[in-house]
Amino acid sequence: MARVVEAPASSAASSFRRRPWVRRAGPLVLLVVLVALPLMLPEGANDTLARIGVFAVAVLGLNVVMGYTGQVSLGQIFFLGLGAYVTAYGVTNDWNIVLVFVLACLVPAVVGLVVALAAARLGGLAIAMVTIALPIVGVPLAKRLSDYTGGSQGLSARFTDAPEGTGLYDDQWQLYLVFLIGGTVFLLTRNLVRGRYGRAFAIVKGNENVASSMGISPYRYKVLAFTIASLIGGVSGFLYMVVVQYTSPETMSFGHSIELLVAMVIGGAASIVGSILGGAFYVVVPDLTNAIDPSLTALLQGALLLVVLFLLPGGLASLPRALTRGRRRSRAGRGPAAPPTTPSSTTGSGTAAEEPETERQGHA
Amino acid sequence: MDKFIQLVVDGLSTGSVYAALALAIVLVHQATGLINFAQGGLAVLAAYVAWWLTNQGVPLVLAILLSIVFSFALGALVERYLMRRFERGDPDTAVVVTIGLLTLITGVAGWLWTYNNQQFPSLFSLETVSLLGVSVSIRSIGTTLAIVVVMVLLQALFAGTKLGLALRAVAVNPQSAAFSGLPVGRLLMVGWGLAAALGAVAGALVAPQLTLTPGMLDNALVYALAAVILGGLTSPVGVVVAAWIIGVLENLAAVYVGFIGFDLKVAVPFILIFVVLIVRPQGLFGRKVVVRV
Repeated sequence: MARVVEAPASSAASSFRRRPWVRRAGPLVLLVVLVALPLMLPEGANDTLARIGVFAVAVLGLNVVMGYTGQVSLGQIFFLGLGAYVTAYGVTNDWNIVLVFVLACLVPAVVGLVVALAAARLGGLAIAMVTIALPIVGVPLAKRLSDYTGGSQGLSARFTDAPEGTGLYDDQWQLYLVFLIGGTVFLLTRNLVRGRYGRAFAIVKGNENVASSMGISPYRYKVLAFTIASLIGGVSGFLYMVVVQYTSPETMSFGHSIELLVAMVIGGAASIVGSILGGAFYVVVPDLTNAIDPSLTALLQGALLLVVLFLLPGGLASLPRALTRGRRRSRAGRGPAAPPTTPSSTTGSGTAAEEPETERQGHA
Repeated sequence: MDKFIQLVVDGLSTGSVYAALALAIVLVHQATGLINFAQGGLAVLAAYVAWWLTNQGVPLVLAILLSIVFSFALGALVERYLMRRFERGDPDTAVVVTIGLLTLITGVAGWLWTYNNQQFPSLFSLETVSLLGVSVSIRSIGTTLAIVVVMVLLQALFAGTKLGLALRAVAVNPQSAAFSGLPVGRLLMVGWGLAAALGAVAGALVAPQLTLTPGMLDNALVYALAAVILGGLTSPVGVVVAAWIIGVLENLAAVYVGFIGFDLKVAVPFILIFVVLIVRPQGLFGRKVVVRV
């Protein structure tokens, strides 16, 4: 996670980053920052950061199925809600917290597996057409199963008060939990999408026929990607309970599901950094637009999504690369006047050569 | 038995609305190969326009006709200036564009006319008539008939006119159509316009029942998509039949299956989809599409 979080900031200086001591020190610095940050920030900032972490994990899950594997899913929020409900139910019944966490991962994963087994059978956009039903069925279902879900009232569960003796405030403890669990999920997912499975996902995304001619079953990998996305959604649901401590049917409404997708595309599809940016977008933008005019939120989100798709299809995560490309092009346009020996241009071309290696997996 | 027949007739009428929306989706899919998630949103916007016109003193029938014309123009413009750019590219991106469009339209409707429910005047009276000894509501019969008439007109357009032939040619193979001198771009605009107009009919017919809100057709979109999956993307007749089956079944399930009830009847098409996808993945009436590498 460390190097990836750094990437946008340091993309202009990647030759610097390639030095071995920087590579080793980078994660360490990040770790120190992550440990120190909750202690120094005010409560409100900690809370916002924690919520960004929660939704960054949810967006990351969506990215696995949609960004990396190319299967549009409109149901990711359902798995967040499911994970949150499982957590809340387990906590209110005093189950062991580790067991609750495992269940909050497994139950959404199993449901996702069953949904994907059916939905992936139809090629093309069937997954989008089926998953759109998940939040729309999920909300009345949650209201109906009121014995387990508390109906429209929802469930609240407090289990993340800072333990005695640590001397931490609740918000700091919660943020640490989000960093720890969310960071682990990000690391694991990063390894997944950069490895064998990530390459298979990318081929399925690129061309299913080519994939099956290479012995990669599109069906199997689509189901796998969707199941992993559901599992990550469940983790984000657990984190949601860690931070928000309350869930209701409204958590998994259709509108939120769309917002999550909007956040993913704007953050950057098939990008780890993009997932974090997407989480930030999901949390921060409604806060901002609500401050201006609550009735404008949907309008602004739709308009922003279309603008991003027109101007920056790779999302915010691709902004540094797009800028470097633009700068190089304008420099090339000026012709031989730009001497290739100036220090500024070496950093520019160094980035262009280096950057694709780190973030381009999904475009293969 | 009396109640049963009423339920079936009501189911057919809601099923007709889903059918109109589903047909609009199939129309766009055949022309451009993508699923337009904004189809419901466009229909809601049309219904708002009709509602706004009636508030300005325009008679209801005229207002609905005007909103249909408005939808046709809007659909054509959306195709030309928004979708055209993404049609040749990655279909997933194009789908995300339609989702963005849905969000944008919902936002515009909510911003202009608030998110509160608005009363939309009904085209048909709410009385019931006695038909073969069973009382059924005029609205249900009227809605069903109106949509059947629209479908017959559409079928006549596609089967009997030169424009319809050209539209079908573009749907089958845009490149060959262009080589034969057809204005593919303009025909795509017509296709989108027709789809949006069809949605507008559905919106105007269903708005009195649901009351007008920006998210009014979110559920109907799910039903329509279910009908599209069940009927098969390649078969307009299949889609309509599937929509009717869904409409009737969900009505019956809501009343006769205790656990489902009215709040969970939206799950009925979902369960149906599961069964069908596992037994017959190409849909009830669809053909298996074979793609050459």
